Amino acid sequence: MLHDLCGRTHQVSANEDIIGEGERPENVHLVMEGFACRYKLLSDGKRQIMALLVPGDFCDLHIAILGEMDHSIGTGWGCTCVKIPRATINDLTTNHPRIARALWWATLTDEGTLREWLVNMGQRRADKQMAHLFCELLVRLQTVGCADEDSFEFPISQSDLADTLGVTPVHVNRVLQELRAQNLIVWRSKRLQILNVERLKAFCDFNPNYLHLTRRANGDSSE
Amino acid sequence: MSLQLQPVRVKTGSHDTEGQLVFTDGLLVAVLVRLSEDHEGKAGMWFLEAGFDGAEERTHPTFADLDAAQEWIQRRLDGC
Repeated sequence: MLHDLCGRTHQVSANEDIIGEGERPENVHLVMEGFACRYKLLSDGKRQIMALLVPGDFCDLHIAILGEMDHSIGTGWGCTCVKIPRATINDLTTNHPRIARALWWATLTDEGTLREWLVNMGQRRADKQMAHLFCELLVRLQTVGCADEDSFEFPISQSDLADTLGVTPVHVNRVLQELRAQNLIVWRSKRLQILNVERLKAFCDFNPNYLHLTRRANGDSSE
Repeated sequence: MSLQLQPVRVKTGSHDTEGQLVFTDGLLVAVLVRLSEDHEGKAGMWFLEAGFDGAEERTHPTFADLDAAQEWIQRRLDGC
């Protein structure tokens, strides 16, 4: 059944919204390729990106239950999604407990990631915050086979990165220069390479526990 | 305009070292830094490195020149 669902992919163009704030669509979107993001636009035009969504991430699973979107989901870079009808999600959660548990796991992991981003934003210096995001993306993308041992496609702009970290593009530029100068990263041709993964993880005190990648010993799985 | 400027060198951890302290009535209210060539399209513009008493902004604005920066700081001090 899941295989059938994943056959119906559609391409979302760069700078297109997958779903906008206030909408209540009939489909849930699953990212298959590329990057999408959760974001909120303020009345003065400022934007905060609250999550980066990579292949395997549900964009809007909760919309099957909640009334309407309280934020927007879009892609500044283009991505491929699958639309899963809300009725199918309801059927899966009602009649397939293992899948329901996996969807629950996905939601809890999203929350864990959001908590870590909050810690990053509130307590980590901008250079460590950025390093932490790079370590997180490497691990998440490796999990779904979209990164090699030390690099991944990273199509976003410095301005997108600034809106993700909640710092100015000037600070992003300075921090990138600093991380490059320390031989920690190379970001070229839309590909981010981490030159020494263990050193970068140590630099930003990265602990992937919030991604909940290990299964419980009782055999419950995330799939 | 009641603001006074004083050139200063700022250690920002980058090539952006040319700065101006901005005073109002003898009190420091902002630190502006001129963006270096590292910033390409924004090189030469003035970045609000720090501001006080209303002349701060979480998103640290960038200004085309010192006049624009001072106008913004003055507006903030005036409570606008």
